[in-house]
Amino acid sequence: MTQHDSLNAPHALDALDAQDTLVAAPPSTNLLRLRFTGSGSEYFRIWIVNLLLTIVTLTLYLPWARARKLRYFMGNTLVDDQPLGFHGKPLKMFKGYLLVCVLFGLYSVAGNFSAMAGFFALIVVTLLWPALFKSSMQFRLANTSWRGLRFSFRGSLAGAYRAMLPVFIPGLVLVGARVFGVDEINSPQRYLLLAGIVGLSALLVAPWLLWNIKQYQHNHYALGNLQTSFKASVGSFYVLTLKVVGVFLLVILLPATVVGVVGFGLSFALKDGGMGAMVLGLVLGWLLMVVAMVCIQPYAISRLQNLVWTQTGNVQLRFVSALRFKSLLWLTLKNTFLIVITLGLYWPFAMVALTRLRLEAVTVKTRIDPALLVADAQASNVDAVGDAAGDFFGLDVGL
Amino acid sequence: MELDASYFDGHSGRAHPVRIRVVAGQLHIDGPGIALSVPAQSVDWPERTRHGMRVAHLASGGLVQSEDNVAWDAWAQAQGLGESLVVKMQQNWRWVAGSVAVLVALVVGLQQWGLPLVAQAVVAITPHSADVALGESTLNALDGIMAPTELPPADQQRIREAFSQAVAKQPPNSVPVWNLEFRHGQRIGANALALPGGTILLTDEMVKLVDGDSAVLTAVLAHELGHVQHRHGMRMAVQAGVLGSLGALVWGDFSSLLAAVPVLMGQAAYSRQAEHEADVHAVRFLKAAAMSPALMVTLFDKLEEQRHPDKPQKSGSNAASPDSSWLGIAFSSHPSDAARIAFFRAAAP
Repeated sequence: MTQHDSLNAPHALDALDAQDTLVAAPPSTNLLRLRFTGSGSEYFRIWIVNLLLTIVTLTLYLPWARARKLRYFMGNTLVDDQPLGFHGKPLKMFKGYLLVCVLFGLYSVAGNFSAMAGFFALIVVTLLWPALFKSSMQFRLANTSWRGLRFSFRGSLAGAYRAMLPVFIPGLVLVGARVFGVDEINSPQRYLLLAGIVGLSALLVAPWLLWNIKQYQHNHYALGNLQTSFKASVGSFYVLTLKVVGVFLLVILLPATVVGVVGFGLSFALKDGGMGAMVLGLVLGWLLMVVAMVCIQPYAISRLQNLVWTQTGNVQLRFVSALRFKSLLWLTLKNTFLIVITLGLYWPFAMVALTRLRLEAVTVKTRIDPALLVADAQASNVDAVGDAAGDFFGLDVGL
Repeated sequence: MELDASYFDGHSGRAHPVRIRVVAGQLHIDGPGIALSVPAQSVDWPERTRHGMRVAHLASGGLVQSEDNVAWDAWAQAQGLGESLVVKMQQNWRWVAGSVAVLVALVVGLQQWGLPLVAQAVVAITPHSADVALGESTLNALDGIMAPTELPPADQQRIREAFSQAVAKQPPNSVPVWNLEFRHGQRIGANALALPGGTILLTDEMVKLVDGDSAVLTAVLAHELGHVQHRHGMRMAVQAGVLGSLGALVWGDFSSLLAAVPVLMGQAAYSRQAEHEADVHAVRFLKAAAMSPALMVTLFDKLEEQRHPDKPQKSGSNAASPDSSWLGIAFSSHPSDAARIAFFRAAAP
């Protein structure tokens, strides 16, 4: 039933992943392929019916719609020809959904009353969020299975705080400053200076912040008696960031120079065309920004996925992700174009195509026969509050 | 009727070939070394889909699965395992087309009638103190782009008194709490703004535009008082919130830009309705104060003069929304001036 290719043929991997081929692969290594069998037209039908039910029930149906979507996507994700299963109970997710709605309703109202109330609400969220994050990871993994075995997330609560708290510091500093009267109305210069310093330092530590969260997640995924560990260094995240920034500048600067030169030439050629050339320049500049934004996102996503997943594994099991920037860029352009001209109705097709591309770029190398995996003894019963919270912030687990 | 399937026990990753059948409400799983029977009700049965395997999750943590979807579906039907209406809808193009149609009708209806009603109800149960808080923060934000008034205190006093006199002639309990403030509009130009909570801002440019005519200004303030009376500021905030979440629900995880479009278009439509309500209020107010609704026409004439400056004026030209914009009425926040002038003319005796 299962089919294992031996890993003898050299693999065409991108330079970023080259390191991984050095992992010694004994002859018994199995290569588990990921396949995604979902279809856009089928997901469209699921999506539209569930969207209708969600609106008719004033969003109360949302957890059921989410559970159905996850069941469809996971059920169509085959690892070594065996599907993943999603076991989340919608009713349980519903309770979490209500709680999170109330919590963040209060949070968004608080800021309208006073700076102090807003600051206090942010502190409460800061203190709750890491716990919600951990519980979100636990819920999602504990409710996902493969070959009848449940995944689990073994991160600790303290680890969650170490991973997530630093993210809130810039926001806390800025909102806190308002409480002490430093804001854009009372002392605009000091506020701008503060915002500048905070923004710049946040930018500098951003790669570390991302690494810090990823290492917490990827060090604690487990299936049966296997637990992953995360080998990527902080340095590699900085290198990746520099590459992304570099590509961004390249995408912007190169055509910007062309536009500048052309515009300059034009304004000379047409004597009173100064205004027209300026407008043309502005429009072209704006288009360039859009193009740069559209291009840079798939670049960052593909490189991050490859870096993070290829560095995840343990002695017996390792992921390899070879997501190509060119394919992702092409798909992103196609999806964006079709979603816009169909007023959003292409959305489910786009989701399926994107999931297929990203999942099928990943393979799993393992030395052990999956049939010999044994379930983790500790049964976990985790609550669904965190899952709803994760969804609230657009946080996604794994791929 | 029996079906060939694979069984995983939930403890090891090994697949066992089994045969399954449902007899008297019990699911029987039989294979080499396996003889299980569990209540069919306790099983998490798979939903019918065209793609993906059929996997039935057992309460014990194990599962039964089959790659042969056709055989499984035939088997499930023969075993009397029903399926939910949602699954039937999802797998039927006619139901799906119906859903699309209903969805479009719902969204249009909600935007047109449902949301204004909801907003009205929400505002009705919101305490006035929330309006005041929202008004204060709005005023703070506005003060960032406006400057203190340069109008002599005597002029301010004159305008305030003229308006107070008109207010005094209104039927008892028909006037909300109000508070008139003056600002130098700068980029906002000749304008009057009603903030939630009852603060009305009048710009120096507006006073200058009508040459300080306190009767015309009273008419302008009557319109703004209409906004206060109907608590339009709060209603707009609620409507924007609901529209925003609706947009986010449908397209949110794709693009926040696309999700903002319904907010923009919806708000413009609601804003036109609100302006009309305020105009109706202004007419009633002016009549009660024994003044002519035609006073508002004077204002529109002045604004028109300013927009097409045969005699140029310095205070900026964006006093009112451009009614000849190529974007048309969809994005326009005010009804066209012509329609409003006709309305006030018709109201004048």
